[in-house]
Amino acid sequence: MKRWPLLLLLSIHIWHGGDLLMGSAVAQEKSAAAVPSFGKDVRPLLKSKCWRCHGEEVRKGELALHTSAGIRKGSESGPVVVPGESAKSRLYELVRDGEMPPDKKNPLTKPEVEIIRRWIDGGARFENEAATKPEVTQHDIVPILLLRCTACHGRQKREGGLDLRTRAAMLRGGTSGPAFVSGKPDESLILKRLQREEMPPRQRLVEAMVKPMEASEIEKLTRWIALGAPEAADEPDVAGTPADPLVSTEDREFWSFQRPRPVTVPNVAHAARVRNPVDAFVLQKLEEKGLSLSPEADRLTLLRRASFDLTGLPPEPAEAEAFLADDDPRAYEKLIERLLASPRYGERWGRHWLDVAGYADCEGRREQHLPRPSVWRYRDYVIRSFNADKPYDRFLQEQLAGDELADYEHAPEITQEIEDNLVATAFLRMAPDPTWANLTGFVPDRLEVMADSMDVLGSGVMGLTFKCARCHSHKFDPIPQRDYYRLVAIFKGAYDEHDWLKPQLIGYGGALSASFGERYQPHVTTTERKRIDEQNVALQRDIDALKAGPQTAETAKQINELAAKRLPEPRLFTLWDRGEPSPTYIYRRGDYQISGTLVHAGPPAVLTDGQTPFEFVPPWPDAKSTGRRLAFARWLTQPNHPLTARVMVNRVWKHHFGQGLVKSVGNFGKTGDRPTHPELLDWLAQEFVRQRWSLKEMHRLMMTSSVYRQSSQRGSEGEGERERNTNNTAAGSSPPLPLSPSPPLHQDPDNRLLSHMPLRRMEAELLRDSLLLVAGQLDETRFGPGDAVTVRPDGLVLSGKRRSVYVQQLRKHPASLLESFDLPAMNPNCLQRAESLVAPQALHLMNDAAVRELARQFADRVQREAADDPKRQVQRAYWIALTRPPSDEELTACLQTLTALTEQWTKQVPAAEASRKALVTLCHTIMNSASFLYVD
Amino acid sequence: MPPTTDTTFNAQEGGMKKTPDPFTRRSFFTSVGAGLQGAALLHLLGDDLFASEPKVATDLRARPTHFPAQAKSVIQLFMNGGPSQMDLFDPKTELDLHHGEAYFNKIAGEVENVTDAGALMRSPFKFAKHGECGMSVSNALPHLTKHVDDIALIRSLFTTNITHEPALYIIQSGHMPSGYPTLGSWVVYGLGCECQNLPAYVVLDDPLGLPINGVENWHAGFLPPIFQGTRFRSTGSPVLNLRPEAADPPEIARLQRDLLNQLDRLHQRQRPSQPNLDARIASYELAARMQMSATDALDLSQETRQTQELYGIGREPTDSYGRRCLIARRLVERGVRFVQLFINAQIWDNHTGLATDMKAACDRTDLPIAGLLFDLKQRGLLDETLIVWGGEFGRLPIAQLPKDKDERKAGRDHNKNAACCWLAGGGVKGGTTYGSTDDLGFAAVENRVSVPDWHATILHLLGLHHEELFVNEHGLKEKLTGVQSARVVREILA
Repeated sequence: MKRWPLLLLLSIHIWHGGDLLMGSAVAQEKSAAAVPSFGKDVRPLLKSKCWRCHGEEVRKGELALHTSAGIRKGSESGPVVVPGESAKSRLYELVRDGEMPPDKKNPLTKPEVEIIRRWIDGGARFENEAATKPEVTQHDIVPILLLRCTACHGRQKREGGLDLRTRAAMLRGGTSGPAFVSGKPDESLILKRLQREEMPPRQRLVEAMVKPMEASEIEKLTRWIALGAPEAADEPDVAGTPADPLVSTEDREFWSFQRPRPVTVPNVAHAARVRNPVDAFVLQKLEEKGLSLSPEADRLTLLRRASFDLTGLPPEPAEAEAFLADDDPRAYEKLIERLLASPRYGERWGRHWLDVAGYADCEGRREQHLPRPSVWRYRDYVIRSFNADKPYDRFLQEQLAGDELADYEHAPEITQEIEDNLVATAFLRMAPDPTWANLTGFVPDRLEVMADSMDVLGSGVMGLTFKCARCHSHKFDPIPQRDYYRLVAIFKGAYDEHDWLKPQLIGYGGALSASFGERYQPHVTTTERKRIDEQNVALQRDIDALKAGPQTAETAKQINELAAKRLPEPRLFTLWDRGEPSPTYIYRRGDYQISGTLVHAGPPAVLTDGQTPFEFVPPWPDAKSTGRRLAFARWLTQPNHPLTARVMVNRVWKHHFGQGLVKSVGNFGKTGDRPTHPELLDWLAQEFVRQRWSLKEMHRLMMTSSVYRQSSQRGSEGEGERERNTNNTAAGSSPPLPLSPSPPLHQDPDNRLLSHMPLRRMEAELLRDSLLLVAGQLDETRFGPGDAVTVRPDGLVLSGKRRSVYVQQLRKHPASLLESFDLPAMNPNCLQRAESLVAPQALHLMNDAAVRELARQFADRVQREAADDPKRQVQRAYWIALTRPPSDEELTACLQTLTALTEQWTKQVPAAEASRKALVTLCHTIMNSASFLYVD
Repeated sequence: MPPTTDTTFNAQEGGMKKTPDPFTRRSFFTSVGAGLQGAALLHLLGDDLFASEPKVATDLRARPTHFPAQAKSVIQLFMNGGPSQMDLFDPKTELDLHHGEAYFNKIAGEVENVTDAGALMRSPFKFAKHGECGMSVSNALPHLTKHVDDIALIRSLFTTNITHEPALYIIQSGHMPSGYPTLGSWVVYGLGCECQNLPAYVVLDDPLGLPINGVENWHAGFLPPIFQGTRFRSTGSPVLNLRPEAADPPEIARLQRDLLNQLDRLHQRQRPSQPNLDARIASYELAARMQMSATDALDLSQETRQTQELYGIGREPTDSYGRRCLIARRLVERGVRFVQLFINAQIWDNHTGLATDMKAACDRTDLPIAGLLFDLKQRGLLDETLIVWGGEFGRLPIAQLPKDKDERKAGRDHNKNAACCWLAGGGVKGGTTYGSTDDLGFAAVENRVSVPDWHATILHLLGLHHEELFVNEHGLKEKLTGVQSARVVREILA
């Protein structure tokens, strides 16, 4: 109601102005005098429609439209008015599309929108106000030249001796002289070339991966030169000074942006169940609901659970016997130590990290998938790092900035450490990358690759979703758009869309290929290089000797054989800073053709104190490196960083207990889940750092807790566990437990409070590796190039006998068995695997020829170990596959079926053959059974 | 696990987002009612960004629609390579007039193969008006012309990339990068399937080879893998591992099934309240049923000679595609939700030999498609089936010349600015021609239809609202239609 007078006033004003403007649109378009005046036409409009949110007091999106300076400056993402170009002006777009003012309240009328358009197209001039900033500066020009010209006139190539990256370089010019003459567009070489459409040369557009310059861009360049090529002072915008107005103190108070707080371990009623603080924190929450932990699981269940958790493989019957026979009260703790020391540990936990990184043996996103030779060194590095219990802070520093940790170029010797540093940076190169092919190698394609890498880093390591901020400020988390570009700027020294190293293969496949392409470095350890050189020299000597002698068919064959033994030139797939990053401009709405504000490298403002600038220096004197990533890695791995330790302990927790304390493991922001046990998460995060970021300490802590050792039984009507519990006694020194009634389901329906351990289906790799192990067929050769898969014409992808982590990971051809059981497609990575339950899985396990062959081999093994007695065969099969004896009912069912199967087969084959075939079917059935696939 | 509590309901409503009329969330709530099924759907589709536990459907049970559906199932006739609009559905007299004139410099940035670019080129085909609606179709498609009154033609589709791979990702998944769920995946994610004996989303690829992007054309992206398309081979065993390579005698197989069932029930009895264990036992039962159903669905010998001839089965060049069209009919008859048909390589990618090669592509597909439309109609199935025809982009009005520069062998290069596509069947206003291109057919100018618009329209006909079909992924509300607003092309709806 109150609004009426104002509205009335407005509409009169509009009517008046509108009338004038509507008079003769055609005539006015031709007349320059008809350009609306800022003071008379535009300003009153802005005042009535926009100032409420974009004025002196409120500046949403940092946009203030009450002064000409504010209008020129634009919003957080850059200018909103591009003089002469309404189509590129955000202000015009938003009012035209009715998006502003928001909620369709009081929108601009068509004539009003026209006023804005025509004012902008007329040059967006402000009368009576001295221009505080030149109309066009280098910030308008540099992005255009980077996009259109520097592919051939920049850091990598300098055709005609010309570098167009900066004003100074342009004036220095090339062999034909300076690129432009200040103030004289007509005499400027660059404009002549552009106007004559000589540059960029049409026939080389695809090869150089650039598009021609647009007419409006040439016009802008002309204006800049005419104005004398003015340069605006490039104010260093270091994160924190001044404090980012888009990130408030309240924003910083969100739980995950606060440093973990010291917490006291609570006292609980069920004190007898408390083995370590983990138990106290979990029990506290359970007791609040009148619940407690479930009874302890039996020993064999614990053995199987711990083996799968730490090694990804089931225990062998002999291990089970030894464990049952060990009456040391610390038998269980000793078991955990033994499993942690197993080389299989790194293969299991390395795989978890490879999911985070998005590991693949090929590039992707094109019809043909370019191989990534030697990327397996990264996989091996990850596995070795886990086995060595490399401190997590160091592990991250290597992966984010390994090339800046030590001088590899001038090192007298390449040590394993230096090689590891370089190999580790492949973490940042895991994103699917189509930019090796001409048509998918343009700037937008490169930006996509960079965005994927930022996504891997953000979600996997920082628990933050940066993806939204690429196009606009995050809608839910305090991540302004410029934070995304600041993060991008940290990586610019290595990841530069205007100075791109293509994934490519040069001479790949030859025995002594000279190079693998731009993304590879030769710095393998001096020891490895020496070994390779020695072998190749020795081979060459033998070859030469043979060549010197008489040439027969036999010597030719020998020479060929020797030549085939030559070791290929080793290369590292890696990422490194080249020391000359292009400037980073915000891309408005993520559009690479609309550059906004220049930003500098820095971490997200919400994770800073808003005062300390982000500083970096080259890592060593004369380094060809900016030091940006190293500074970032150090910032990220500060002991009290709010996210780094929390995100990682949460991941470890998820892999042990089925779901994270923060369920959304890749999103600790506002749209993510809140921690179920915030104190426990903080305590673990701090304990992790106290234990010098040791992951193995975290396993010890979690796995020796009573929470981990409880049964997976869900409470309800039955007490099914009782029967099996009688088979073996509870583990270790745990106090005798009353079989307390399990908690009612509705109190903890999703087991978020951990009133029992989850029942878990084997992940794809666990299933495949276990099938191989049980059949006695697992090839435990470690490390080296991926074990090639075979693609059958019908689409089935067959894998060999090595552990799944060593099977070649091709994006297009995942091994069928693994894919059926939810091996993720890495696009770009996977933080939470799906667990589907569908008929094709049953079809695969029942009918697949390779699985049936493994069943036959499993049966052979049972026969070898248990001879011909059916009862012993069933028992042995159970121990091998399920780490336990069969129950009476199971034994009866198996024996009856075995007899019936043998009878049936006897009708068709001789008796000995019949009982063998019956055993194969039994073994195949066990491999299909829920007992095999589900881990208690 | 269908959510049954009212709390879910309220939590959802509390965080409601505004959506355009007439399908606001509120009206959606009212229309689905508060039944158990409704709640299940809300749970599936209404994952609010603030909900503490985002739920994603992980089964293929049939789910209610957002609003009444016009079609129950989809047959997507995908035309790999980018069919040429001005040679099939979009006659351009200006091209005849300006034939041979230079035009390259005006569109240089839009040409993929710049070195081969020639002058403006008229169509080697002749157009005529057909049916009661008088739709213009060229003489390259003589059989389809008999069914124009059943199809709604869009002449103003456009996309944003001129290279096959990205353009295919866009048309299949709405996004240029790979890794997003395809249209079919979204549809079965949203609707589930009425038939549990067959996969919900079946792909009939060409035995001669996979299309560009291979299996990514039916990938489920970040949706659970059960929503990805299942390839049915049109010869031999239709599904991988449907049967063992060396099958056991039936009695042995029965004993094995019984033992497995017995062991799994013992296992399940000791672990009460674990719904996954029940579902697992059911999945083995379904696998056994699928062995029967899939074999039955693909057994074309059950069809009469007459029906087979309708699809061009038993003669060249239509036999292969005709079989797939007939199988598609048999699948939707049995309740399969989404069938996607491919043809090998890129027969519509006519960079050269437009007059011959594109004609060959027409000859392989025209009769089978006409047969499919006729057959569905005579069986009363066309009203509930949506037929979708189109490729990943259109082609340029200028010629692309072969290496020897022989103009008689000229073709056309890719064009992202204009393409034709059509819909037929449930809910479609037959005989409609919608949108238009400029005089030369270079770009859609009037009533432009973006790929998200196209997707939104297909979802709409199936009773799904494109803004309401989403999952939370990486902090984003990911939808088939992406972040830009999409529009249902109501003008082509019945």
